[in-house]
Amino acid sequence: MVLGLAVGQRHRGDRMRDWARLVFFLLCLANMVLLGLALARAARPGWAAYQRSYHRLEAQYEPDAAAKAAVEGTPVAIAQIILPGLQRVDRCTTCHQGVENPAMKGAPEPFSYHPGISRHPPSRFGCTICHGGQGLATDLAAAHGRVPHWPQPLLPSEYVRASCGQCHTKGDVPGVPELAEGRHLFDSHGCRGCHRLRGVGGTIGPDLSREGATRRDPAWLERHFLDPRAVSPNSVMPNFHFTPGQAKELTYYMLSLTGEEMSSYYTSESVIPSVPYGRELFARKDCIACHSIGGVGGKSGPDLEGVTRRHSARWLDEHFVNPKLVSPGSTMPAYDLTADERTALIRFMAVATGKDAEALLAGGAKSLTPEEAAVEAGARAFVHYGCVGCHGQGAAGGVANPNSQGGQVPSLIHVADDYKKSEVMAIILDGKTPAMANPSKPAPPLTMPSWKGTVNEEDLHNIVEYLWSLKPRGESSRW
Amino acid sequence: MLKSILRSIFRGDPPSTRKGRSELVFYNFWLHIHPAKVRKEHLRLRHTGYLGFVSFFLLLILGVTGLALMFYYHPYPARAYQDMKDLQFVVFLGPFLRNMHRWAGQLLVVAVFLHLCRVFYAGAYKEPRQFNWVVGVLLLFLVLTLSFTGYLLPWDQKAFWAITVGTNIVASAPLVGPVVKVLLLGGHTLGTQALLRFYVLHVAVLPGLAAALVMVHLWRIRKDGGLAPSPFQPEESSPPARERPIPSSPEKTYGLMGIVTGKPAFEVLVPEEEEAVFSYPYAFLREGIAFLATSAAVMALALLYNAPLSEVADPSKTPNPAKAPWYFLGIQELVSHSPALSGILLPSLLVLALLLLPYYDGNPSRRPKDRLLALSLFALVVLAYLVLLLIGLYFRGAGWSWVWPWAKGTGGTA
Repeated sequence: MVLGLAVGQRHRGDRMRDWARLVFFLLCLANMVLLGLALARAARPGWAAYQRSYHRLEAQYEPDAAAKAAVEGTPVAIAQIILPGLQRVDRCTTCHQGVENPAMKGAPEPFSYHPGISRHPPSRFGCTICHGGQGLATDLAAAHGRVPHWPQPLLPSEYVRASCGQCHTKGDVPGVPELAEGRHLFDSHGCRGCHRLRGVGGTIGPDLSREGATRRDPAWLERHFLDPRAVSPNSVMPNFHFTPGQAKELTYYMLSLTGEEMSSYYTSESVIPSVPYGRELFARKDCIACHSIGGVGGKSGPDLEGVTRRHSARWLDEHFVNPKLVSPGSTMPAYDLTADERTALIRFMAVATGKDAEALLAGGAKSLTPEEAAVEAGARAFVHYGCVGCHGQGAAGGVANPNSQGGQVPSLIHVADDYKKSEVMAIILDGKTPAMANPSKPAPPLTMPSWKGTVNEEDLHNIVEYLWSLKPRGESSRW
Repeated sequence: MLKSILRSIFRGDPPSTRKGRSELVFYNFWLHIHPAKVRKEHLRLRHTGYLGFVSFFLLLILGVTGLALMFYYHPYPARAYQDMKDLQFVVFLGPFLRNMHRWAGQLLVVAVFLHLCRVFYAGAYKEPRQFNWVVGVLLLFLVLTLSFTGYLLPWDQKAFWAITVGTNIVASAPLVGPVVKVLLLGGHTLGTQALLRFYVLHVAVLPGLAAALVMVHLWRIRKDGGLAPSPFQPEESSPPARERPIPSSPEKTYGLMGIVTGKPAFEVLVPEEEEAVFSYPYAFLREGIAFLATSAAVMALALLYNAPLSEVADPSKTPNPAKAPWYFLGIQELVSHSPALSGILLPSLLVLALLLLPYYDGNPSRRPKDRLLALSLFALVVLAYLVLLLIGLYFRGAGWSWVWPWAKGTGGTA
């Protein structure tokens, strides 16, 4: 500027017309305007307006004018919850200021109170671990994650509960039956046969360990479960004809598989010690073999009805850890139970009745010979590793595999007639590519993957024992 | 009091006298690279386009904004991307600073390239300015390397894969390629070590080298006799009639240079009164305009367009296609045809040809009509590279297959 004004003076020998002075001056102005615009934009962030409205809302509850003015004059600042254990920083409370203020029940968004999160306080959990969105952002569209290049938009509210499954990876979560159901469907339909999950499973389909993070799209997932080819036309995944309810449950389960890295604070309570989980444990550990409830069940241990009234929860817990120490002369073995599992069992025993015992007995707690036990374990392993996904429930086949011999993944019911046990084990370990029915057409999409390194020796033998047990009786001379 | 302070800073006569205006340039550390008087012709926009100044000012803007950004940046993968988000959402003027740095960097690549073209077309690399051309070409490579190293720092998908592609192009060079790649990355894949190396190169090594070369570049302009006269001057070979050479004479002092060599390196052509003006204020005013126009353009771009930032870098998720930074897309296009021959050998030869240009171009004339072959060859090479670049930018989709830019969802820009 100084330079520009100085040019006003004319000197001898300066014979240039000087339009430059004007241009210089105008460009000075332009630079100042542009800098001013940048400063103005930086000085008036959108979140500050929200905070001022919140302060006005808060001021309503103040008794006198001085207090009102003080509240309304609270300086605005970015609020953030730093969560090293979740590797996040959530700035959502910059606008959602009333989340922990019960007085804001029913207040207009974004200020309303969030009920029912006393066990998961925002100070330890933040917001985005459940809701998704972009915690680092401080403007509306970006924070809600509905912008390009942010893979985790806010979950629609009806799917937010799926996020519980990120930490509560086992047992059932109260209020979210979909998670346990989805997990059960995943195991029983043999999804692991093609999909790897946390290091276990086949390689025909994509690894699902981070599916909830990479494909955070409930609508897509649900349509995919109803008909895989409706959303990915080249998918080789068979249509399992899930009901809409099942598709939703599986979607919940998928959304919970985010592969999020969390510190032990968040993973330590992976199991919620609920009554249903206690019942499940009670059945799995076969407690009814020795104990009775309300007179129904085994007789070698004491009856368990009212046991929680006879003993304190603390006594029972210590008894689980070391029965002989707490109750000398007890013949009960010390089971390897976690604290959550012990609590779940105690909670179940507090409400268990004779009816539960009958149900448990009907569920088939029978004594098994070693051979029968191997077949039983083999059947479980056949489901666990996902063999049922392709070979069908009960190994009965029926899953289409275009251009293979017979057009289907083979049934394994008659495998004992055609193979030796060692041959079947070799196929499981090395994998097998099905022969083509028509060599000129594309190869069959489904192949037997190699399970070497995934299936251990014991499971391998048990699976073979299970397959041999499938041969229909009286048909051994079929060939 | 104030007057004595000012007098201690500005020692020369006041600029109201001719002597004062000479001394203002002469006694000022920051201005003394200028001559006291400049030719009017050289101040015209059409003579240089002020492209050298624009490049210099862009470098200044990049230095200042870059320094500011350094206060907020941690060069390790777990933090780098979050720092970008913090700049965007919580740092005061953060988005503006990052946008300015980004767009100034991109403009610099363009400005330096245009500057090179301008100097080529004016034939200004010819005697006695051969070496300054070489310095200029080296500066062009420094600018490209600066831009390339800066590209990685946001640590997003685009950065990660563009640099992966870029370093793989480097690795496909014969003999030294793989070694250079390992040196650059501090390993075989892009990771913590690579980010740190790119950061140190970007904020210390390369700016230092560039600053040194810029100083040499500017200093050489004066030592090579100032800006080259217009190539359209009617009589090129003999000095214009109005300029009279000052003969070296024992009675006259020429300053330190004169004492050292006994006579000036070049005979100084003192322009006649009516052809020249004092640098103060005319040249400085115009340089000021160049600076203000550059900064206004960068600020306007920074206000209008946000610097891109894609998802956080994920080494397990390769985008298809993965594209190098835009100015290298021509080379990536060549590499896609034949990595060794057209991808590395051809560009290397071109670089060498560019660097040594003043030494094999034996044509002494700077007039365009005497240089038709050189001009058309240069235009051909530039045009060919631009076509390849545009193909890489707009016409390449998944698997580097040909796609039309208007075909939906398959293409993509780098």
